[in-house]
Amino acid sequence: MIRESQRFEPFTDEPISVINDAGDWIAEFELDLDQGTLQRFYRDMLRARIADERFGRLQRQGRISFVAPSAGHEAAQVGVAHAINAGKDWVYPYYRDMGLCLALGIPLVELVGQSIASLADPAKGRQMPYHAGSVQLNTFTMASPIASHIPPATGTAISQKIEGKGEITVCTFGDGATSEGDWHAGVNFAGAQGAPAVFVCQNNGYAISVDLKRQTGSDTIHQKAHAYGMPGYYVDGMDVLASYYVMQEAAARAREGVGPALVELLVYRYGGHSSADDDSRYRPREEVALWRGRDPLARYRRFLEKRGLWDEATEEAARAEYDAEFTAAVKVAEDAGLPPLSMMFDDVFAEMPERLRKQRDDVLGGEA
Amino acid sequence: MVQAVARTLDQEMARDKRVVVMGEDVGKRGGVFLATDKLFDKYGPDRVIDSPLSEAAIIGAALGMAVHGHRPVAEIQFADYVFPGFDQLVSQVAKLRYRSGGQFTAPMVVRMPTAGGVKGGHHHSQSPEAYFVHTPGLKVVVPSTPSDTQGLLRSAIRDDDPVVFMEPKRLYRAIKEPISEDPEYMLPIGKAATRREGDDVVLVSYGGSMAETLRAADALVEQGLSPHVIDLRSLAPWDEEAVLSAVARVGRVVLVSEAPHTASFMSEVSATIGEQVLDALLAPPARVSGFDTPYPYSHDRDYLPGPNRILRAVQRVLDY
Repeated sequence: MIRESQRFEPFTDEPISVINDAGDWIAEFELDLDQGTLQRFYRDMLRARIADERFGRLQRQGRISFVAPSAGHEAAQVGVAHAINAGKDWVYPYYRDMGLCLALGIPLVELVGQSIASLADPAKGRQMPYHAGSVQLNTFTMASPIASHIPPATGTAISQKIEGKGEITVCTFGDGATSEGDWHAGVNFAGAQGAPAVFVCQNNGYAISVDLKRQTGSDTIHQKAHAYGMPGYYVDGMDVLASYYVMQEAAARAREGVGPALVELLVYRYGGHSSADDDSRYRPREEVALWRGRDPLARYRRFLEKRGLWDEATEEAARAEYDAEFTAAVKVAEDAGLPPLSMMFDDVFAEMPERLRKQRDDVLGGEA
Repeated sequence: MVQAVARTLDQEMARDKRVVVMGEDVGKRGGVFLATDKLFDKYGPDRVIDSPLSEAAIIGAALGMAVHGHRPVAEIQFADYVFPGFDQLVSQVAKLRYRSGGQFTAPMVVRMPTAGGVKGGHHHSQSPEAYFVHTPGLKVVVPSTPSDTQGLLRSAIRDDDPVVFMEPKRLYRAIKEPISEDPEYMLPIGKAATRREGDDVVLVSYGGSMAETLRAADALVEQGLSPHVIDLRSLAPWDEEAVLSAVARVGRVVLVSEAPHTASFMSEVSATIGEQVLDALLAPPARVSGFDTPYPYSHDRDYLPGPNRILRAVQRVLDY
């Protein structure tokens, strides 16, 4: 069932924007967010950008083994985070979602703790960096196998539909994920069940080095929604308010029981796929420079400045604040200490099997 | 046995409304083997969910429901079809508790008819249990009687960790025995059953091959021998104590399973016997297995370890 949209049409030829490059509001509807919220969005984007820079530095210092840069994705991720009822709705993120995790409210100390694998990590250091999760915020612990979180997201949405409390599930992924069988399996099942799920593709045009043309014969990602009986929204994901408003509409629609949606947020990643990638082998520097010129933070800052909601002094103070926050989080996370060896054997099952207990005792009782 | 599955599911769904059943044809059809017979009429489409034809969707969605508070019992129509959902089981379901540091758990059951003997060819006859046993985080159960099915399935549904529940399909309608009407009848996962006490040779098996193993034991008794027969019932965790104490006492052991010989679950049992009770052995452990071929349609019964092959192995062990 594809319901008529409130503000936005699905399947548009051009991506939906509400702010132009000059920072002017160009949508036909009235902006209805208060000043504090508008500033909050920018602050969350800036905080994510600074975290991205600082995590990169930790990686180059050898203090963490890996990063998946999120710079360029901030507008999309912050827009998604604020369209969600954090702590009630469920979120199934992927590893490039540092900005989403921060904006949802996962404490920075936990995210740093996760990446340095200290006891500040609620997951006890079990996963590689950039694979967070939070039971407090109903944010499913990330996994590396691409699109393997899509069918579970659908299952949670089915569970929510049965319970009928108006909760929804938001599931994010990159463009490469849409080629996986599990992506089809999960999105198809959600469509068949009319489950309250919003699937969000952060399409940055590359799955490591493979560009969209080699990824799919489809011109876009959102058009795939047609086949699953749900609306597909085509959105400028470098526009935080477009991302927010479209997500809010897709979420409201799911919440009302109308069914799932697919939202394609067009973004660009400024860094490599990961700290182990050399993107100069496959992306022309001119292309990266072109997209740098469309920085989502700069564009939204122009919008705020035109409204008198931001200036250079506020920018400098905010940068200093988030920089100091990160420095302090690293200290707390490192001071928490590393998980003891004995912890390696916990949490395989609710109760430790006898055989595993013997393996643990053997290791703990003898020389390493 | 299949009625024991349906009855237990019914009792558990009546007891706990978080328990839901999901899979292909589990609704009005009642499952292709009727393991979910009549549940749809009784509990409706929200609790008996006909899924699309997608094992990844079934197992993955079951996980997402479990994480959110349901207790799903997913049905894979044949164990041979689990592989599109293998990544869900291995990467997501099995590892969730561990990788999230216990923040998220997966209390769910994945049921699947397994093993051969029904003229189904290689895509309806395989015994893929070793793949699951090799994955930390999964419990694996393979019952061989209706009563055990009842007790173990109930334990699996109430378990806080994921359980792969493999039902030997050639036993679905092969064994008749009274099943308990007690809605609390449970058997602990990880405990073997001793089917016969004896002193001359230990026969260890599980699942579908229990039938042939017991026939071989009957033949040994007729010959005046005294076999000791163990039904493992659970493979992860498995009852090392039951096996090792019997083997240490008797000194001779034959391990029977119809899965392909190489790296089968019985390879693990054999290795453990070698590591733990080598000095007590009077003969090398013998394995009687399926062959290292895909499961053949034309030689359905020849592929299975039948009583004659088991008896020949017993003879080798006795003559050593």
